[in-house]
Amino acid sequence: MSTLRSREARAGPPEEGRLYVGNLDAAARRARELLLGKMKLGKLVDWGTAFSLWPVHFTTSCCGCEFAATWSPRFDAERYGALPWLSPRQTNLIVIEGTVTKKMGCALRLVWEQMPHPKFAIAMGACALDGGIFYNSYNIVRPWEVVPVDVFIPGCPPRPEALARAIVELQRLIREKGVASKWIEEGEREDKPAPIPKEDLCSWWRG
Amino acid sequence: MSLDAVRSRAEEALRGVYTGVEEGKGFVAFRVPAERVVEAAEALKSAGFDHVKSVTAVDRPKEGVIEVTYHVSSYSDPELARGIVGITVSLPRDNPRMPSLSRIWVSAEFQEREVFEFFGVVFEGHPDLRPILLIPPLAEKHPLRKDFIVKEEQVYKGGITKLEQPP
Repeated sequence: MSTLRSREARAGPPEEGRLYVGNLDAAARRARELLLGKMKLGKLVDWGTAFSLWPVHFTTSCCGCEFAATWSPRFDAERYGALPWLSPRQTNLIVIEGTVTKKMGCALRLVWEQMPHPKFAIAMGACALDGGIFYNSYNIVRPWEVVPVDVFIPGCPPRPEALARAIVELQRLIREKGVASKWIEEGEREDKPAPIPKEDLCSWWRG
Repeated sequence: MSLDAVRSRAEEALRGVYTGVEEGKGFVAFRVPAERVVEAAEALKSAGFDHVKSVTAVDRPKEGVIEVTYHVSSYSDPELARGIVGITVSLPRDNPRMPSLSRIWVSAEFQEREVFEFFGVVFEGHPDLRPILLIPPLAEKHPLRKDFIVKEEQVYKGGITKLEQPP
């Protein structure tokens, strides 16, 4: 009885630095402050994101062969924690493999919008950089006009090592700059906002 | 040898309809006037040519015509499957219109849509004449016509060229 009373007496008004579970909103805010402010959860998020970059298949061109070879036993990109996945809703990386036509640009943006943040993009091959051999075609878009691209890989097509290197570079970018944790904290990415395409790519889709 | 059989069967079906014949390797094309193309297609269909392999067009701005070619062949008749028969139609370039053959050969439907967006040929009676590969504002320009100009490759003359940089 005396211990109970003393515990009640000790509780008194809410103290700084203690976690109360009565008010869930207040408790959540306090937990966030504690974890993100003191325990550097942000670094944990960056570390976790860097080793779970799951690319979605977006094979628009011949670079898809090199993409497949990168995850084959010889080069084995899964050792970086990257696992190709089918659904965009469970992925956080998009590897744009080659030429993107105007109609496919709409699909690219739709896939990008479906992915949960923090999300990243790698543009692979000469076509994804500046059009490649289709540089003067009337029917292509540059992928960086549609989605914000983090890492560019030159080559026609790039070797699988180059794609593995791009994944390692992206991991370095995430962990050094803290991209993932900042994105979660602020709710949007301020250094690289999603571009607005110059023309209406999805007009065909709405009919 | 095998093409002769195909050619004679097609000639028999198109007797009185065609105005000229062109022959290539494994291929024979019959020139048909635009107003009789449905008649020619029905004759070929009843002669055993049961599908369209491709629909294509050639733009000839000097002569002021667009030539639409249907390549037809057969799956059901092994003798006819050895060669390809073409029907070529010349249309005026300023107003290219012709009756659609997708009622007769269903496999022509998507390819007529392609010719429609790339050359601007209007197929009358087509069930769903919309652009198929291009976005609508681009399809209005008909990019495979000769007067559609694309950016040419230039010779590098030294110095620093200013390129549009990715953000």
